[in-house]
Amino acid sequence: MSEMISRSMDEKMPLRIRMGIRFHLMMCSLCRNYKKQLWIIHRAVEKLDRMENFHDKPMRLPDQVREKLKDLFKDHE
Amino acid sequence: MPADEASTLSPPTTWVDTYGDYLYGFAFYRVQDEELARELVQETLMAALKAKDSFAGRGSEKTWLTGILKHKIIDSLRRKYRDAMFEDQDLDERKIHDSFDHNGRWKTGPAQWASNPEHLLEQKAFLDIIRKCLHELPERSAHALSLRELEGESTQTICKVLNVTATNCWVILHRARFLMRECIETNWLQ
Repeated sequence: MSEMISRSMDEKMPLRIRMGIRFHLMMCSLCRNYKKQLWIIHRAVEKLDRMENFHDKPMRLPDQVREKLKDLFKDHE
Repeated sequence: MPADEASTLSPPTTWVDTYGDYLYGFAFYRVQDEELARELVQETLMAALKAKDSFAGRGSEKTWLTGILKHKIIDSLRRKYRDAMFEDQDLDERKIHDSFDHNGRWKTGPAQWASNPEHLLEQKAFLDIIRKCLHELPERSAHALSLRELEGESTQTICKVLNVTATNCWVILHRARFLMRECIETNWLQ
């Protein structure tokens, strides 16, 4: 069931299976929690992206890389 | 008519300072590897330099550069998984099976993380845990998840990029989510 809940997030399952999942969810609060958690994870991962909160430390391109790139660009001008 | 800043590109030498850190973070978040992310930024800016005449002026240059980076990320992942022989650690179903009893029921089931999920998404501590758990995923799981959840790629595309069968693709995604949720619950509810 947990695999089907996950898979239902990735593609449209046949109606019969979707009904089976829905019926199970009506009766199983643990699976309901699971599904909600997967949804929260999806929202949170997207939110971090929108906030540009990519790492636990600020992302800074090392100076070495910056200088190398700037030099390469100067050559192309 | 307002000045249209999007119609012409700023000088390439300014791209590094204006967008370098952002592109680095964007790439890192998706590939979860600092060295690879640095390479991808360099590839992206070099490609953008060569392609600058093709910038049509629709949309911002940030979006344009990000678009090039997204392609570079996918190409890089495709190369990586085409050539590598991968341990099937992220296909290992044992950890998932251990979570269920012989009747297929949850042993210790998923708890409620919060009565109000929206409020949860506002909490820095929670988001920090999400980021940490994403970083701790097996590499291929993290890549599968970012392709699916961030880029919205179809499972068909993901299978091709990861060079796996459709079935394994679903298993990889399932396990990625399963591990994420377990990690988050452990860290959040302690």
